[in-house]
Amino acid sequence: MKKDLLAALRADLAAKKSVVLATELATGAASLVHPFGEGRGVEPRLFAAAREAAQDDQSRLWQGPAGTVFLRVYNAPVRVVIVGAVHIAQALAPMVQLAGYDVVVVDPRRSFATEARFRGITLSTDWPDEALQKLGLDRRTAVVTMTHDPKIDDPALVAALRSEVFYIGALGSKKTQAARRERLGKLGFDEAAQARVHGPVGLPIGAVSTAEIAVSILSEVVACLRGGQAALRKP
Amino acid sequence: MSADDLYQQALVQLAREAAGAGRLPAPGVEATVDNPLCGDRVTVEVRVDGGRVAALAHRVRGCLLCEAAASLLGRGAAGLGEGEVEAIRRSVMALLREGTPPPATPLPGLEVFAPVRAVPSRQTCVLLPFEALAAALRAALQDAGLTGHQDAGLTARPEADPAATGSTSTTAR
Repeated sequence: MKKDLLAALRADLAAKKSVVLATELATGAASLVHPFGEGRGVEPRLFAAAREAAQDDQSRLWQGPAGTVFLRVYNAPVRVVIVGAVHIAQALAPMVQLAGYDVVVVDPRRSFATEARFRGITLSTDWPDEALQKLGLDRRTAVVTMTHDPKIDDPALVAALRSEVFYIGALGSKKTQAARRERLGKLGFDEAAQARVHGPVGLPIGAVSTAEIAVSILSEVVACLRGGQAALRKP
Repeated sequence: MSADDLYQQALVQLAREAAGAGRLPAPGVEATVDNPLCGDRVTVEVRVDGGRVAALAHRVRGCLLCEAAASLLGRGAAGLGEGEVEAIRRSVMALLREGTPPPATPLPGLEVFAPVRAVPSRQTCVLLPFEALAAALRAALQDAGLTGHQDAGLTARPEADPAATGSTSTTAR
């Protein structure tokens, strides 16, 4: 690999940007493809293949028009943004870390989002819309809202719905969900758009305790990330 | 229609009016105060002239009560000095805690918050904009070399809800 190519790759990794290294096996010629970018300047078939590989999170050989190309996927780390530093978040955040993902807990209520309650977890006390904008929502990000306070949850859901995040979950009973759907509807998100929101949140595993609810939420995140069968159920 | 309903209407109207919402055309000195229990956050920006508020703008992330209180300041804060701002803050506190009718001067309209006396958990929401104004004004006066009386009530906020130890940050721009 050429030095400048390596430098570009390292810069993308440092910026937590998904990138695919495409190497022509016959010639050794290599280039970087940003699978979730606009694909400008990239041969369309190569771009599509790189994107698919990145979405599957799986490096692979690809038969291109000019021969075999090895698509090496360097995906940005999966990140779960939890909005609401509530007690379920206290269980969920360390579980997300154990699963190998990045986690950020956002709550403008400083008395909830404290280091004492979330040891070793990245916290943000910005309002969710500001926090999510700073974090930069992408295809490798999941957003879960947990405050039950529309004032805090709704700006997060709006930001998530306007982005490409792979998962959106909203904690709350069926009644809370109906009220949420009505509010988001008034903001211009029709049923199809809102179908992306998983609510009530989590897989139906009969969770009762706080930690069990966290397991059910994390399971749903994994299912949506990996395209598991469970992700196919209607949210 | 009860008195509370009338006040409710007036509060909604005041919040919708959002007098003074936004930024000053020429940047002033600002202070941000928040309520750590509910996340409400108010930034008040002032420009001073002759030791008094010449212009005020505010940005509120919070509930209707917070918006209404900020809007009331947007309507009537121009011309207030540091002593008056402190007196207004005490009037609001007395209204919320003891139900003492507030004086009509120097800031008219405070009585609209009377019903909040019955809801202790929401009183901080009303107080935030007044505290932000006090902090912004103090910072602006210091900036202008017109350091006013070091009022204990502004820094330590001893009378505020003990649970709501809101932080104050000021920025001179």
